[in-house]
Amino acid sequence: MKRLILTLTAVMCLNGVTFAAIDWESKGMQMVGEIVANPAAFFYDFQQDLEGTVPLPPGKSLGFQTGLFPTLLPLGYANVSAKYRLHGEGRLAPGVPQVDFIGGYWNMVWAKLAANQSDTIDDARFNGYYLGAVVSSSVSPRIRTFWGYKRSALAARLGFKQGKEPDFMGTRVNSFDSGFKDDFFIAGIESPRSIDKFWSMQLNYGIKTQTFSTKLSWYGKVFELGLNIYPEGVLVIHPVWNLHLNF
Amino acid sequence: MKKIILGLLMLAAGTDACAAVAEDSKIFTPYFDMTLLEAAYMPSVGNIFSGGNINTQVGLLTKITPDNQLFGLYTFNYYGPAFQPQDSKQFTDRSMSHGFNFEYRRGLGEKFKVRPSVSLMTDYARTGANEAWKNGLYNMNSVGGQLAVDYNFDPDKNGFVTAVFILKKVEFPNYTDLLREFQQAGNTSETSGGLQDQSLTQFSLRPNWNKFFGGFTYTLQDYKNQQVVKNTGVYDVDTKQKDRTMALNLGFHHTLWIFELFPALSYTMHVSNQNFMRYKYLGATAADPSLGTADVTFVPKNYDYNDLSFSVPLDLNITGKWAVGGSINVTSRTYKRGARDAKNDYNFSKKQKNLMTTLTGSIRKRMNEAAMVRLFYSLTVASSNNKFEQYMPYNYTGNSIGVAYQLSY
Repeated sequence: MKRLILTLTAVMCLNGVTFAAIDWESKGMQMVGEIVANPAAFFYDFQQDLEGTVPLPPGKSLGFQTGLFPTLLPLGYANVSAKYRLHGEGRLAPGVPQVDFIGGYWNMVWAKLAANQSDTIDDARFNGYYLGAVVSSSVSPRIRTFWGYKRSALAARLGFKQGKEPDFMGTRVNSFDSGFKDDFFIAGIESPRSIDKFWSMQLNYGIKTQTFSTKLSWYGKVFELGLNIYPEGVLVIHPVWNLHLNF
Repeated sequence: MKKIILGLLMLAAGTDACAAVAEDSKIFTPYFDMTLLEAAYMPSVGNIFSGGNINTQVGLLTKITPDNQLFGLYTFNYYGPAFQPQDSKQFTDRSMSHGFNFEYRRGLGEKFKVRPSVSLMTDYARTGANEAWKNGLYNMNSVGGQLAVDYNFDPDKNGFVTAVFILKKVEFPNYTDLLREFQQAGNTSETSGGLQDQSLTQFSLRPNWNKFFGGFTYTLQDYKNQQVVKNTGVYDVDTKQKDRTMALNLGFHHTLWIFELFPALSYTMHVSNQNFMRYKYLGATAADPSLGTADVTFVPKNYDYNDLSFSVPLDLNITGKWAVGGSINVTSRTYKRGARDAKNDYNFSKKQKNLMTTLTGSIRKRMNEAAMVRLFYSLTVASSNNKFEQYMPYNYTGNSIGVAYQLSY
């Protein structure tokens, strides 16, 4: 593996002479422009990082989750999510799937602190919630598919004090006040890696805004590591670290 | 139009992939296949960019009786920015589609199966300008039916032939014709008017035997409103555009010791009665549009091409979990139109030829019977004798490195 990475690096370096230089400045400006054009979409991608949209493990009926990275740190999204199992798989009758209610709330604490202490920022409010349900069904001893719906909403407001407005690409920015709300369809598959360890892959698709993402997750009893992909987002790949406890 | 054919072929391929037989003990058999690819692209022309593909298929097969089955399939495809074959689209173009397919499967004896189905598809296209998905110029809706017949001639060696007949109504709600817009610049009325709308008829015959597969596909696209442009630059009101595509492909998938090889070869002929008027600038005029160097040039058979492509993917299964892979993909396309020089002048004595070669090296890890991950590096070399590259690169080299995940049940 290491040898291959070294070989690839060598090939890339040798090829480098034939390639145009990477213009990081224009790339950065393009990304900033995308954030300013639609700030709610940018902040909503991070909300999806903390949303718990995989079903509870078999045998568990209640779960709590908090997003640690990149949500709580460094962005300051104080957040909590919960899952409640309404029906265990096969409990009522053979073949009836597991049904979980899911939901959560977050609030950006840094924004409040910044607004209170800053000479520039007048008002800052960033918060959001989601609510939904996930239905899961085992299709083999090692495979569980799941389907779900979630309603996600976000509010993002940032106002600057009069005379302290920043200048962006020749335009004075007074404030932005935007929001995001959509109904999402969820489809995913889960497979165990070992006892109490799983990995899953899921698609989240927003019906009205056509926002979509893919979540790859590896999780055990306490932690979840994830790689969330937002193909149309400003930051396409979000490495994710969440903490959860299920009872 | 290539996109439609590709979409249909993919839908057909997806349906084939789901032709799995229901498990005997189950009334309901779910189907799930999800592939995620994310990569960084470094072209010799332009800046670094990232892109990805998401392909998801979710289906449910319902066994009413052993000989009567219903199959529903939802397909979601997203194709992000990537290196593209010349004359197709910009690196930054993206597309997203939703497809629904409902199929009834009826067994007729031991050898025959009949599969009528209906399908709906919505395709969104988006450029690097980040317009809203609903505003894409090439957004497309299609609805249609299909009849497939399978003949199983050698059950022991998976020998069967599938004949498929497809009829579709295809609409492009946002499409507008640039030539009409250009010629009627002062016209404020709607010039789009369903110019790209068409009916699509496709027939395919695909045999499989042992580890070999092949097929022939014939596609006819009958445009409802789009007229053919004449050498005067005026549309011929009596002649509607018609495109035909014939494709042949063959390949095999073979495993020998630790080697897993699946080469494929395809040959496509595309013929259209549509022509092209090339204006060098707004307001350009020319006394003789048959000259390639004129400001206005008439290009007959502009869209006709022959396309030969082959790919040879090879995996070396080092252990049960790990494999090292390599592949070569080559696509060569020859047009009937002349090549353009850097000044946008046509040379009609030299046909346009595009060549695109992609070399890939990869490491694959099979995580369990349903999941695998692949880390890959690709070198893409695109060359063409078309040197007019103001809008699209024809000659470039590109590196890409990425990761792909697949979960399938």
